[in-house]
Amino acid sequence: MSRKIRWTGAALGFLGITGTLVLHWMVFFWVPTERTMGVVQRIFYIHVPSAWVAFMAFGVVAVCGAVYLWLKDDRLDAAGVAAAEGGMIFTTIVLLTGPLWGRVAWGTWWTWEPRLTLTLLLWFIYLGYFLVRASTDNPQRGKRFAAVVGIVGALDIPLIHVSVQFFRSLHPAPVVLKPEGPSLDPGMLATLFVGLGSFTLLFFGFFLFRYGVERMKEGLIHRELTGGSFPGTEGAAS
Amino acid sequence: MRTRTLTVLVLVALVLLLPGALGAQGGMPATQGLAGQSLRGYTHMFIAYFIAWALVLGWVVSIARRLGRVEKALKE
Repeated sequence: MSRKIRWTGAALGFLGITGTLVLHWMVFFWVPTERTMGVVQRIFYIHVPSAWVAFMAFGVVAVCGAVYLWLKDDRLDAAGVAAAEGGMIFTTIVLLTGPLWGRVAWGTWWTWEPRLTLTLLLWFIYLGYFLVRASTDNPQRGKRFAAVVGIVGALDIPLIHVSVQFFRSLHPAPVVLKPEGPSLDPGMLATLFVGLGSFTLLFFGFFLFRYGVERMKEGLIHRELTGGSFPGTEGAAS
Repeated sequence: MRTRTLTVLVLVALVLLLPGALGAQGGMPATQGLAGQSLRGYTHMFIAYFIAWALVLGWVVSIARRLGRVEKALKE
């Protein structure tokens, strides 16, 4: 892994962890308690940033996939895999923290309403992304199939966003991204933005390390096949 | 590998069963007062934060282990 990727990843990760510590202080000691739902509403400050990071990650997968299909550059495929893995982690957080909140707020762990169902579908689509990659003997073909799955999967993201507006839904409507502006208490909004910022930094920090690992793995395979060196893996052993 | 799978299963079971178990033991009576609701909210909130950090930490550990393995293989 190049020194640049390593240091940038470490710096972003450090900033993300610092931001997350500040977020925890805000969530547990500073932000006001929501009147109707009580303390359980504080799940919001990890649930929404996780959803944001997951959608962003899958957006990266789709863009990398589309450009990979065009240029056939393995670096784009590596970036796509790294982003997809992060997206799966953060979507899992969304899918597990949501029911914990819903159990108290709605009285049920799960309901097959549009936003929840489409988010679960998103998780399965990107699970398919990894299954498709691993299902063929030809790695290049696996990468191409995965790129297509990554692009198709991202089409689900806008549907998830608008589902609460167009369908009858238990899930709350957007409180920040709406035409008339955010309707949150300023303290809650500030906490949410700290969460969004720190989760984004964390994601990109770990994404860079995961990208580096993927490139090194490819370098290793290339070296085994050809016995030569591979561009981008210089200094990997240093 | 087996230990890791067991740990994951235990965590998932805890997450799924703990709130229900609290309810069954009278921690969350059907007619809840304000105090009961708060306690229930705290349990769910802490479990949610625990899950989030367990998953992120798991991802970081997994990346670090893979990085170590690949670096070792590249050195050989």
